[in-house]
Amino acid sequence: MFKYTVKRLLYSAIILFFVMFIIYALMYNMPMSFVETKARELASRPGATKSYAEWLADLNAQYGMDRGVVGGYFIWIGNAVRGNWGDSWAWTIPVTQVFKNTVWYSFALSMVSYVFEILIAIPLGITAAKKQYSFADYFTTVFSMICISMPTFFLATLLKYVFSVKLGWFDLSGMQGRNYMNLSDFGKFLDVAKHFVLPSITLIIINIGGLMRYTRTNMLEVLNADYIRTARAKGVPEKKVINVHAFRNTLIPLITTLGGMLPGLFSGALITESLFAIRGIGYASYTSMTQADIPFIMFYLSFISILTLLGNLISDLLYGAVDPRVRLS
Amino acid sequence: MTNTLNEALKAKERERVQSADETIHLDDVSRVKVLSPGQQVFKRFVRNRLAVFGTGLLILMFVFSFIGPLFYAYGQKQIFYKYSTQNVNYALAKTNTAYNGYVVNSEVELSRKVVNAMNSNIKSMIASEEELRCVFDGEEAYLIRKLGHEVYTLSRAELTPICTTGKAVVRIGTYSMLSKSVAYAEADAEEIPGLDAAAAKNCKGKNGSFELDGISYTFEMGKAKSFDLYTEREGFVYTASSPGEGFEEAVERAVGTSGFSYNGKQYFLSENGKTAAVYEFLGEEVGRVYSLLTLDTYTTGETISDDFRPAALMAAYGSGSFTANGAAYTVLPEENGALAVFDADGKEFAEFTDFTVRRYTGEDTMDYDLKNAIMDEILSMLSEGKRTGKLTYPLPMQNETGSYVYDDSGALQYNDAELTITQRDTGEFVINCEQIIYVINMYEAPSSRHILGTDGDGFDVLARIMYGGRISLMVGFVVVFLEILLGIIMGGLAGYYGKWVDNLIMRLVDIFYCLPSMPIMIILGAMMDALRMNTYIRLIIMMAALGLMGWAGVARLVRGQILSLREQEFMVATEATGIKVRSRIFRHLVPNVMPQLIVTATMGMGSVIIMESTLSFLGLGVKHPLATWGTIINSVSSASAMAHYAFIWIPVGLLICLTVIAFNFVGDGLRDAYDPKSKR
Repeated sequence: MFKYTVKRLLYSAIILFFVMFIIYALMYNMPMSFVETKARELASRPGATKSYAEWLADLNAQYGMDRGVVGGYFIWIGNAVRGNWGDSWAWTIPVTQVFKNTVWYSFALSMVSYVFEILIAIPLGITAAKKQYSFADYFTTVFSMICISMPTFFLATLLKYVFSVKLGWFDLSGMQGRNYMNLSDFGKFLDVAKHFVLPSITLIIINIGGLMRYTRTNMLEVLNADYIRTARAKGVPEKKVINVHAFRNTLIPLITTLGGMLPGLFSGALITESLFAIRGIGYASYTSMTQADIPFIMFYLSFISILTLLGNLISDLLYGAVDPRVRLS
Repeated sequence: MTNTLNEALKAKERERVQSADETIHLDDVSRVKVLSPGQQVFKRFVRNRLAVFGTGLLILMFVFSFIGPLFYAYGQKQIFYKYSTQNVNYALAKTNTAYNGYVVNSEVELSRKVVNAMNSNIKSMIASEEELRCVFDGEEAYLIRKLGHEVYTLSRAELTPICTTGKAVVRIGTYSMLSKSVAYAEADAEEIPGLDAAAAKNCKGKNGSFELDGISYTFEMGKAKSFDLYTEREGFVYTASSPGEGFEEAVERAVGTSGFSYNGKQYFLSENGKTAAVYEFLGEEVGRVYSLLTLDTYTTGETISDDFRPAALMAAYGSGSFTANGAAYTVLPEENGALAVFDADGKEFAEFTDFTVRRYTGEDTMDYDLKNAIMDEILSMLSEGKRTGKLTYPLPMQNETGSYVYDDSGALQYNDAELTITQRDTGEFVINCEQIIYVINMYEAPSSRHILGTDGDGFDVLARIMYGGRISLMVGFVVVFLEILLGIIMGGLAGYYGKWVDNLIMRLVDIFYCLPSMPIMIILGAMMDALRMNTYIRLIIMMAALGLMGWAGVARLVRGQILSLREQEFMVATEATGIKVRSRIFRHLVPNVMPQLIVTATMGMGSVIIMESTLSFLGLGVKHPLATWGTIINSVSSASAMAHYAFIWIPVGLLICLTVIAFNFVGDGLRDAYDPKSKR
C-alpha cells in the first residue's frame, strides 16, 4: 500500500511536470506584444516607478522569456518548488496571498453544495433503482438528465431572474449586503450565508445529476447481483436486503468517487463564482485570466492539476481500502 | 363483360391464396423473422421512449437551425430600424440680453477692444442713464450714442486735446550743475525760492526726490550734467488755448461724467486716475449700430440682405425711411419699444423685437405666427406666474423618415402638434414637441413581425437563434469528430502495439486528461481578444483547441476495447492471412469499437455545446456579428438587460438545454440498445 502510494505520487509528479510544461508553453507563446502591452500598462500606471523598457526587461527576466521556452520553464518550476510564485499582476500582491484570501470562500461554497448533493442524490438514486421503471425512476432519470444538460450560466441567470429580480429574496450578485459593516459578527455570517444560497443551489443542481445517475446505476447493478438473489432466496427481509446487503456494496464505488471529489472542493467554481461575484479562487482566477495575469494563472492551473491528480490518487487508494477484493499494486 | 372480368379476377385471387397456403409450412425458415444486429439495435432503441423523444427533438433542432433560415425572412446580420416619435427640443425663446452689432460702414476702423466691450459699455450706460459716452483705446476715441430704445451706435470720434486737469506731474525746469541754477520750462513761470540751493544739495545720482517747503520734487539726470526737475501740480494745463472763461468750472462740474457741452461745443473727458484730459469734439463717423432687437419678417423664409438691419436700425430714430435691397421701407418705433418696418406699399413687412424665438438647432426658420403664438403663450404664462405652458399649433408635417411632407402642388403640409413650453432656470423658454425620428429597433418585445423580438443591436432574435444553432451544432460536430479521430488513432496504436508505444501514448493521455480545459479555453479566448482576431478564425481555433483537449477520454476507451479484442480469434485470423497492420487496426479492430464510440460521440456533443455556449456567454468564444446561442445570452447578461429582456435569453437557454438533453437521451438510448447489459 505504502509502496503503491509512493509510486503513484512520483508518477503524478511526472505528469504534473509535463502538464505544467504544456501550460507554460502556451503562456510563453502568447504574442510578444502581450507582454509589451502589459509592460506599457504597468509603466503608465499612476505611481509607476519603472519605465516601459525597464518593465519589459523586468517582466522578460522575471518569467524567463529571454531564455527560450525550456530554460524559462526550468526557472519557473525552480521558483515554484521553492514556494516563490511571484506577484500577481492583476491583484498586485503575492500570488500566495491572493490564494489565502480567496480559497476559503470557495471551499465553503463547494463544501455546502457537496454535502447537499450527497444528501439529495444518494437517496433519490437508490429509490429510483429500487423501483426500476416506476414513476420515481423515470422522474429521477429525466431530472438528472436535465441537471446534467443545464449550462451553468443559464441556470444561474434563471435563478437570479426568479429569486432576485422577480421575488427579490436575494441580491443579484456579490458576497455582502449593503449594511454589512453595521452588522454584528453573527449578522455578518448570516449575511454572507444568504449571499451564498443561490450559488450553492446552482452548484448543487449542476452536480447532482451525475451523482444521481451514478448511484442509480450502481445500485441497479448490485441489485442484479447473485448474492442479492441468494439473500432474497434465503428469506432475508427486503428492508435488510436493500439497506444492508445492497446499500453497503453500492457504497464502494460511491465512496471512491466522493473521496476523489474531495480535493476538488478547493478548486473553486469558475463560472458560478464569476456570475455571482463570490470572491473565491474561481472568480479571482477568472479575473486573472481575462487580464493575462500570468503568475496567478500559472499558480492556479498548477493548483488545479495537483488537485485533479490528488483526487485520482485518493479515489484509487479508497477503492483499495473499501473493497477487500481489490489489491493495489 | 365486366361481370366475366370480375369473375376471372376473383378466381385468380382464390388460386393465389391457395397456393400460398401450400408453400409456407410451420417449420419453414422464412416464417421465423430474423433481425440483423442493426435491426435489433434499432428495435431496442425505438422501444426506449426517452430516446425516441430525444431523436425527435434533435431532428427538430436540425431542421430549425439548418433549414429554418432558408425559409425565414430575416438574416442574422440584418439590422432593423423603426420610426419613433421622440420628444425633441423644437424651439428656444428668450429675451435678448446681448447686443448684436451690425456694420453700418465697413470703412470705419474700430478697435477690437472697444467692439468687444460694447455690451458691458452699453449696460453701464443704461445703469447710469447716459445717452452718450466716449471710450478711449490708446490714442483712439470712440463714441457710443444712444439712438433710441435699445439702439446704440458706435462711431469713431475725431477729438482734439484741450487741456488736462487734476493732479499732474509737471516739468518745472532743468537744473544745470554748471550754472548752479534752474532754467524754468515755462517762460513766465515764477521763480521758486530756495529751489536752486535745494537742487544743488540733493541732485546726486541718476534720479531721486527731495522736499522743499512741503512740496516734493523729483529729479532725473539729463544730459550734460543737468537734471530735469518735476513736481506734482494741481490745476489746468492747457495744450491748446483756453476756450474761454467759465470753462474750467464746467470741466470741474463734469468730472466723473463722460463729457459736457460748453459754448455750443461738445467736450469729452478722458479720466485717468487723478487727472483728466479734456478733448473737444470735432466730428464722428458711425461704424456700427448695436441693438438687442432681432428681426422677424412677417413672411416666413424671406431672405434679408445684410444691410437691411443696420439701415433699418439707423433709420428708426432718424429719418424713418431707408432703402435696402433696392426697395424703400419705412420704420416706426412702437410703444413697447419694438420697431415696425413697412414696405413701400405701407404693408407691415417685418418687426424688430427684443424677444427671440428660434429653432433649437437653428436648422430652419420658424413661422411668424407661430412665434407670435408662442410669445403670447409665454406672456400669459408669465402673467399667471407659471413655468410651463401648452399650445397646439400646426407644424410642418413629417413623414416616417422625418422629412417634411409636401402635397402635389409642392406646398408644405401641416398637422396640429402639441407644443409644451417650459421655463428653464436660466430664464429661457424651451418649446418641446413630438417629432418622428428613425432609430434602430432595439429590444422590441415579441410581436408578429419579430416572433421573439429584437435584441440590443436591432437583430431579429429568432433569426439569430437559427443561425446561432447552426454554429453551435456545427461546433459540436466538428469538435467531436476531431476528438474521435485523434482518439481512434492514438488509442488504436496504443492498444494494438502495446509495450512502449502503449506506455508513451497512455502517459500522453494522462497528461491531457489532467489539463484543465475550461481555464485553458478562457485563456485562449482572452489571448484572441488581445490580438483582436477575426471571429471566423476564432471559431476555427476554438474548435481545434476543444478537439485537442478532449481526445484523451476517447483514446482510453478505444485502447481498452482493443486490448481485449486483440486476443480474439478473428485477430489471429487477420494475422494468419497477412493483412496489413494498418487495415488490421482500422478495418478490423476499430469497427468493433464503433458502438461505444457512437455513444461517446453523442454524449460528448452535449458537453461540447455546453462548453462552447459557456465560452461565448463569457464573451471569449465566438464574437459579434456571428451568432451562437451563448453570444445571444451574453448580449443580455447585464443585470438590467437580464431583468427586462427575458424574452431574449429564456428561449435561447431552453434551446441549449433541450439540445443537450436530446443528445444525452439519444446517447443513453443508443448505449442501452447496443448493449442492454452495459453499465451506465
